[in-house]
Amino acid sequence: MSATPSTATRSERVPTYCYQCVAGPDLLTVRVQDGVATEVEPNFCASKVHPGGGKVCVKAYGLVQKTYNPNRVLTPMKRSNPKKGRDEDPGFVPIGWDEAFELIAERLNRIRAEGLTDASGYPRLAASFGGGGTPQFYMGTFPAFLAAWGPVDMGFGSGQGVKCDHSEHLYGEFWHRAFIVAADTPTTRYLISCGSNIEASGGVAGVWRHANARVRGMKRVQVEPHLSVTGACSAQWVPIKPKTDPAFLYALIHVMLHEMPRERLDLPFLKQRTASPYLVGPNGYYLRDRATRKPLVWDAARGAACVHDTPGIDEALHAQVQVDAIEIGADGEVLADGVLPGSTGFDRLFEHMRPYSPEWAAGVCDVPAATMRRIAHEYIEHACVGQTIEIDGHTLPYRPVAVTLGKTVNNGWGGYECCWARTLLACLVGALEVPGGTLGTTVRLVRPMSERHDSAVPGPDGFMAYPMNPTDKATWSPRPNIRNAYKTMVPLVGNGAWSQALGPTHFSWMFLDGTPKGLPTVTFPDVWFVYRTNPAISFWDTAALGDKIARFPFVVAMAYTMDETNHYADVLLPDATDLEGLQLIRIGGTKYVEQFWDQQGFALRQPVVAMRGQARDFTDIATELARRTGVLDKYNAAINRGAGGVPLKSAHGDFSLPTAQAHTREQIWDAVCRAASAELSDGAETHGLDWWKEKGLATKPFARLQWYLYPTMVERGLRFELPYQERLQRIGAELGRRLHEHDMHWWDKQMAEYQALPAWKDFPALWEGIVTGAGAKAGDYPFWLLTARSMQYAWGGNVGVQMIREVADNVAGHRGVIIHSGAAEKLGIADGDPIDIATPKRSVRARAVLRQGIRPDTLLLIGQFDHWKTPLAKDFGVPSLNALATMSMDLTDATGSSADIVRVAVRKGCS
Amino acid sequence: MTRWAMVADLRRCVGCQTCTAACKHANATPPGVQWRRVIDMEFGEFPDVQRAFVPVGCQHCEDPPCMEVCPSTATKKRADGIVTIDYDLCIGCAYCAVACPYQARYKTERASFAYGAPTENESLRHDDARLAVATKCTFCVERIDSGLERGLTPGVDPEATPACVNSCIAQALVFGDRDDPQSNVSQLLATHKHFRMHEELGTGPGFHYVWDTLDDDAGGGEGKI
Amino acid sequence: MSFGPNPWQQTSWDARAAGNFIGGGAGCGLLVFTWLASVQDSLRSVLIVLALALVSLGLLCVWAEIGRPWRAINVIFNPRTSWMSREAALAPLLLGSGALALFGVAAALPLAALLALGFLYCQARILQAAKGIPAWREPLTVPLLVATGLAEGAGLYWLFAPWWGQGTNLLWLGFGALLALRFVLGVGWYRRLARQLRPRALRAVNQAGHAFNAGSLLPLAIVLGVWATPLAPGWSAALQALAGVLAALGGAAFKFMLVTRAGFNQGFALPHLPVRGVRR
Repeated sequence: MSATPSTATRSERVPTYCYQCVAGPDLLTVRVQDGVATEVEPNFCASKVHPGGGKVCVKAYGLVQKTYNPNRVLTPMKRSNPKKGRDEDPGFVPIGWDEAFELIAERLNRIRAEGLTDASGYPRLAASFGGGGTPQFYMGTFPAFLAAWGPVDMGFGSGQGVKCDHSEHLYGEFWHRAFIVAADTPTTRYLISCGSNIEASGGVAGVWRHANARVRGMKRVQVEPHLSVTGACSAQWVPIKPKTDPAFLYALIHVMLHEMPRERLDLPFLKQRTASPYLVGPNGYYLRDRATRKPLVWDAARGAACVHDTPGIDEALHAQVQVDAIEIGADGEVLADGVLPGSTGFDRLFEHMRPYSPEWAAGVCDVPAATMRRIAHEYIEHACVGQTIEIDGHTLPYRPVAVTLGKTVNNGWGGYECCWARTLLACLVGALEVPGGTLGTTVRLVRPMSERHDSAVPGPDGFMAYPMNPTDKATWSPRPNIRNAYKTMVPLVGNGAWSQALGPTHFSWMFLDGTPKGLPTVTFPDVWFVYRTNPAISFWDTAALGDKIARFPFVVAMAYTMDETNHYADVLLPDATDLEGLQLIRIGGTKYVEQFWDQQGFALRQPVVAMRGQARDFTDIATELARRTGVLDKYNAAINRGAGGVPLKSAHGDFSLPTAQAHTREQIWDAVCRAASAELSDGAETHGLDWWKEKGLATKPFARLQWYLYPTMVERGLRFELPYQERLQRIGAELGRRLHEHDMHWWDKQMAEYQALPAWKDFPALWEGIVTGAGAKAGDYPFWLLTARSMQYAWGGNVGVQMIREVADNVAGHRGVIIHSGAAEKLGIADGDPIDIATPKRSVRARAVLRQGIRPDTLLLIGQFDHWKTPLAKDFGVPSLNALATMSMDLTDATGSSADIVRVAVRKGCS
Repeated sequence: MTRWAMVADLRRCVGCQTCTAACKHANATPPGVQWRRVIDMEFGEFPDVQRAFVPVGCQHCEDPPCMEVCPSTATKKRADGIVTIDYDLCIGCAYCAVACPYQARYKTERASFAYGAPTENESLRHDDARLAVATKCTFCVERIDSGLERGLTPGVDPEATPACVNSCIAQALVFGDRDDPQSNVSQLLATHKHFRMHEELGTGPGFHYVWDTLDDDAGGGEGKI
Repeated sequence: MSFGPNPWQQTSWDARAAGNFIGGGAGCGLLVFTWLASVQDSLRSVLIVLALALVSLGLLCVWAEIGRPWRAINVIFNPRTSWMSREAALAPLLLGSGALALFGVAAALPLAALLALGFLYCQARILQAAKGIPAWREPLTVPLLVATGLAEGAGLYWLFAPWWGQGTNLLWLGFGALLALRFVLGVGWYRRLARQLRPRALRAVNQAGHAFNAGSLLPLAIVLGVWATPLAPGWSAALQALAGVLAALGGAAFKFMLVTRAGFNQGFALPHLPVRGVRR
């Protein structure tokens, strides 16, 4: 993709990538005429390797306006008004970079002098990034600075994780290395999607693949309270009552277990690849071999019990037997020893699902029993149990059925139940981690992050090892390393680089005004870096959040434009934006959402145009910060180790940077480029920056076989840890003991989630409880307020891009709140009328958008608006659910997440 | 003979507006002007509701009402089917705009820019000739013509293909020569059920909408309105 | 502003375009009626001047609306198919012959009247050729617009004629007949639209109809009343003038509304919905 002469003036096409949202990265080219970026186009050179034909979605077309937006902050700025508040004008005045760095370095060096952690043990330096991890692909070598610094609190969230897919992140990684779960869309033939708005959130690869799939004849059943873009493009829409998806999924499982011949299920898969045959003892824990402590199964061939990994056995799916064994509970306690009664995990499951008939579920989720029954039968019919397919010369099971879950279904209360039910549905027909089935994407909690299959390491009891945070008495500690206490409270979130941001990131905010008993008092960080995130808009209880941000002593914000969070900053820094910066990233393999490639490699983001104003590349900013805080050598060492995405020294060559001096961004990324080139070519090539600037990307084949964890599980003799959650039950019991030993009882409700076989709970009642807890009647707040993705806006700061607003207006609902026409009529509301949406505590106003494609008891606010400072967006006049939602312990589940759903009342607004 | 035509596969379109944006980029249209855009249509009553996303724009009709009414002959039709506007002849009477049953034409009275004052890229691409006259989708005729000159195939080679088609991430838009039975559009139309918008008006659009395969296998009824 | 998928009011033509139909319609109608009425004395000049002024004002209005006024001459380039070209070509002939009639050239007035009829017809065809607006492209729009132009013109005659002591019973009844014709055509036009238009569009046409009905039925009642009732000359003159004003204003208001409020396009329609994976 070198310079392509055009008609009149000198013009060229510059390749780069877009990773504004987690559905990326995708490739594009930008036409440049006389140094001015003019047009975004697909990068057709990538069409053979990119699962979306080398194309980008609408958001990337906003990048030209994003670059030239006159509202950009283009010089460093400092606040001149010491008072911080929503109604206080910060009085930002332009300053030079030198002064800006001095201001920041002075604060940072003070921390280095006083101690990197404070009296409570929390890091004095905090940093928050938004976008579900995507800012990492725009922040250059800043991660190297953070690594060089020492302890950093990255747990002040802005909504990612806890509001979105959170339970799926944790349980998914636990059960099948699935930080996110996707259907094997190119091969799937039947897909049940509970609220997964993939056509809006799946990005280029998602839209591309699902379009091909439905033209091929894949049937997608969209189970969702409103007719989203995805529902529109599905074969069937099931308008389920909000937060009742577990009941729906349980009904499907009930039908498959109780109403179908057992042979319709994938019995070999259940017996050999899951914990279904493991014998469960009288106390609810596995019966174990006294000598080896391994779980026991019943060998139907010999009619005797044996350890699960005995070769050549025929594990019984059903067994009610007496076995000489021990049963070990929490903290290694032997609960029973001798001849003990045991039944299989599968038997337990069977009984557990007995009450959850479609007739029962219909009364809960408002879906006709016949519909659920038909879906269950269609799922089984399409499952092709017993069939196989060739992938890269290997024979794998062919099971073209999948179940996907969306945000609000797979986070918050009920998330565990939904994720468990969904994964179980896959197991019942052997469709977990096989062609056509339900797949995991990548890992972020288990290591190594870059090699999913390498992270499937044998652990206890025939399952994969998992880096649980300790719950044993010796190691568990109520002194968490950061303010959101993830290590203390959430065993499942592990302790890797991403664990902080996947903990209960609302706790950091909540505990500032009242740390619960047992945890060290949560303090304000001395310095807080904010980048590509706007928590004052995107998190819950936005008004209160803004007030808290105002109390942070020193905030450094990388500012694209003025916004609702950097309104409270002390220093604004203009970083080079998407088309101005330089960075090399990994692409391909299997990543989030639907980014499953047949290739893997790297792509370069390069300066398409010169940096505007005083903007600086984040890499240069990081280097300068490192230099001024005396961590330059550690910073360079971190880059050498791989903080730039590739270790600079490997078997293929040594491109390490000298650690004692400051390097330019070109020098740094040239080294990274060479290392990447060497890795790709196994040392044969070492192309530098110039080559990458011309080519834009380079890849090598990625075996299709790698999409599926199943072969690796078979090869390593591993089982999927389903259906019975014996380990989670034990961990939960231990955590409960640890908390009570420290007189911490405020997490008791969450402890109840640690069930080996999760029961249905009245999840909707929890949100009604917020209403009654405020002293009001649930019946007075009869509507469910939900949100949905806007593909055009999310993410990337697109609310300030005029063209994005203009084209988004073509999609229904962007200008107000969607309400069912009949429900509106009953309230005397006409299309376009201002209406008040209220909880007992707060009220917001929106324009009514009357539609048929929504439940009469549901309202929909697309996106997250309610801006009051961001130019352009502040005049939208569209409110946000976040202003009405609370940060509440009651609404937080055991994994530390909640959901974007609020019970509200609706009234026609008086002018 | 060559007859350029566009096919939109409604089964694929997700209303993402990528084509809307790509067209704006390729043609530097001012705010509010969307030569290509996708509309969001809802049908039925809860719970039996359907929703479709429909790319619209100039249909490059066989019998264009706009050309008939145009007093200045600014609107013409090429032999290959593309309906063109000569901006220098146009007097901006907007008669074509009210004559078009597809609401495809725009007229921008004054220069307008995304943020008030023009940004660098807007200044570079602003064209006074397109002020106060009729404008519309041109099927990216310059790309087609320059592509053909270089031996490329419109609808197949991206350099010779309309920007909207190039950009579509659902592969919903297909462009080609309807008079060539081997072309991509001809093959698609031959194997699928399709219709044209407002067919009863007799405009003879060069824009087709695919909605189902001709294959009888699937059974069941079509999506009812 | 939402642009689809439901029909929406066109925004290309505003009050200035309506002005052309208003001025042109009434002016041409007046010129025709002036000739038919064999108007005498200074009234003849007054009416011819008024008629030409109305037509000119209308043209000036539309000239003010076009995007490139200094290219206005291009408007006559397509007489082969464009009624706007034809109308524009007739305009100088109409104004010229009208001026000649003013200066007493014999046969100029009948020629001008004929050209006026032609001009009026062109205007009606202009609107009807706008295929994008269902209310306009309805075939009955043509006779309706011609009829209203003539009725407005007759109305303007009766606004002035009584004060010159002119205007026969036959002309008065003829005025009534034009009003009745206009009304009947309007009802027929509306009935046909009611079968095709979407509710919001039809409601807007309905709104336009109020002025239309008032402007036809009220003066018609006055026509019949004055014809049947012997009245003092002062009173009858006043009533005749009132009837004339109502007829003219009613027509003008109707045309204004038709262009600026009741000119809904037809939006977009799908005869089939796409199959998403499997047929329903």
